[in-house]
Amino acid sequence: MTRPSRILQHVFLLIFALYALMPVYLVLLASVRSEADLFSGPLTLPWPIDFSNFQRVWFESGFSQFVVNSLVISVGSTALVMLTAPLAGFAFAKLKFKGKEAVFALFLAGLVVPAPSVIVALYGDLQMLGLLNTRIGVILPQAALLLPFSIFMMRTVMEDVPDELLEAATIDGATLFETFIKVVVPVVKPGLLSLALIAFLFSWQEYLLPLVVIQDETLKPLTVGAATLQGRYGVDYGGIAAAGIIAFAPIVVLFLVLQRSFTRGLTAGAVK
Amino acid sequence: MYTSRQAWMFVLPALLLYAAFVAVPILQVAAYSLFSWDNGSIKAFSGLANYARLGTDGVFWTALGHNAIWAILTLCFPLLIGLILASILAERSPRVVKVMSAIYFLPRTIPLVVAGIIWGWIYNPIFGLLNYVLDLVGLGSWGGAWLAESGTALISLNVAGAWTFYGFCVLIYLSAIQSIDPSLYEAASLDGASWGQRFRFVTVPLLKSTTLFLGLYSAIEAMRFFDLVWVTTQGGPGYDTEVLTTHIYKTFFLVGDFGYAAALSVVLLVIVLTVGGLSYRILRQS
Repeated sequence: MTRPSRILQHVFLLIFALYALMPVYLVLLASVRSEADLFSGPLTLPWPIDFSNFQRVWFESGFSQFVVNSLVISVGSTALVMLTAPLAGFAFAKLKFKGKEAVFALFLAGLVVPAPSVIVALYGDLQMLGLLNTRIGVILPQAALLLPFSIFMMRTVMEDVPDELLEAATIDGATLFETFIKVVVPVVKPGLLSLALIAFLFSWQEYLLPLVVIQDETLKPLTVGAATLQGRYGVDYGGIAAAGIIAFAPIVVLFLVLQRSFTRGLTAGAVK
Repeated sequence: MYTSRQAWMFVLPALLLYAAFVAVPILQVAAYSLFSWDNGSIKAFSGLANYARLGTDGVFWTALGHNAIWAILTLCFPLLIGLILASILAERSPRVVKVMSAIYFLPRTIPLVVAGIIWGWIYNPIFGLLNYVLDLVGLGSWGGAWLAESGTALISLNVAGAWTFYGFCVLIYLSAIQSIDPSLYEAASLDGASWGQRFRFVTVPLLKSTTLFLGLYSAIEAMRFFDLVWVTTQGGPGYDTEVLTTHIYKTFFLVGDFGYAAALSVVLLVIVLTVGGLSYRILRQS
């Protein structure tokens, strides 16, 4: 390749790295900028570095509680997905039963269903069930909305389990469920980890469901908390920046540590 | 061996959860749309009256237009960028690929709400980064209130949306390029093809089905997105960034017109299910 075109390629790669990183860098700077330093321009390095923004949102704006709520909701939804989707994915990939095609089509249709299109009914249903303004009222529909993607991905993963393994277990007299737990689960562990990560990521990022379901300040997750903070003190930029970082730092760290698993999960659902 | 019933037990937990919180609510929404509502309770059966209102609801058509523009912008920008970045990266060492694709994908891990807040700042007319940088390079006169002006609001939001999406396109294209037979590239190189020619005549044609997938995926996402608009402009200024989901939300929670909100939801569902069904057919063929 000629030198100029190679340099051009490098420039292209770097410009878009800048596009990805600049906004994050900007928030990091704003979060440790003291009030006195506020007007020295968005790109100047803040000095002195000031962590009072974090202290303020954590202790005074309820973010210590929002983190707990985000964790409860995300872990809850992820657990529900993990308890249901792998079983169903296995059945769709490896078992024969009446009505299989129809049920799978029903789940497949759910891949495109937007949360805003069901809230009109979901809101009344949750109210009737006494689940409005509870975290479980977010967890249940959240998990249900994640199921189509999860089942689709699990079916892809389960298809790679060798039939000989299943047959061998059957010959040994294992029931279907025993086979699943003792033979299938160990083989598909990486796929399960990918699914758990993605379910957690999507639950953590969800905004509309908790916005609609939860009114109580002490039950809100981080996404709703951060949006409320922006609306309420439209001028506390340091505070909002700190809030934003609290809202995305855990998931970014998780992604960087487990990048391979994330990538595998996202592309498995897509590429097939 | 197992019985059909035993197999069903594997599907049942997922099916119950899905039925209770997705499938049944969809049927309810469809039923609700056939009634007129008063203060949160059904008043009278009204047939298709709620749907008849769609024709004269200017906001609905504006919103639908914005969804369409959003889909087209997404096809032009994040998909193309993703394709080019992925084809450049494919020829780099695995280390570079790993680091760069992590960087490009990073914004996708940030909740859209937070992305909206951050980009709201970048576009802020007074202290925002964009106007600040334009000032620095002597283009201050190009600055503006990006999200508050009718001409720039939607496209500015789309740049923020693209920020969270192009990394996903890079990942998908990369894994597709890596599955292309390397001997095709070697043959092209031996024939003296330049990088641009290899891109144009090997990569692009062989990635047709990947592009199709991403295109259909982004068309569906363009119908579904909500968070980014809601935390930045709430559909404003005026109705300049109104989309179908924000129109539903407002009709339901702010106006309290359940019947019409349900009719709008059904329209949204019909559109995404149609595009989804088409996608499934097309992708299965290719």
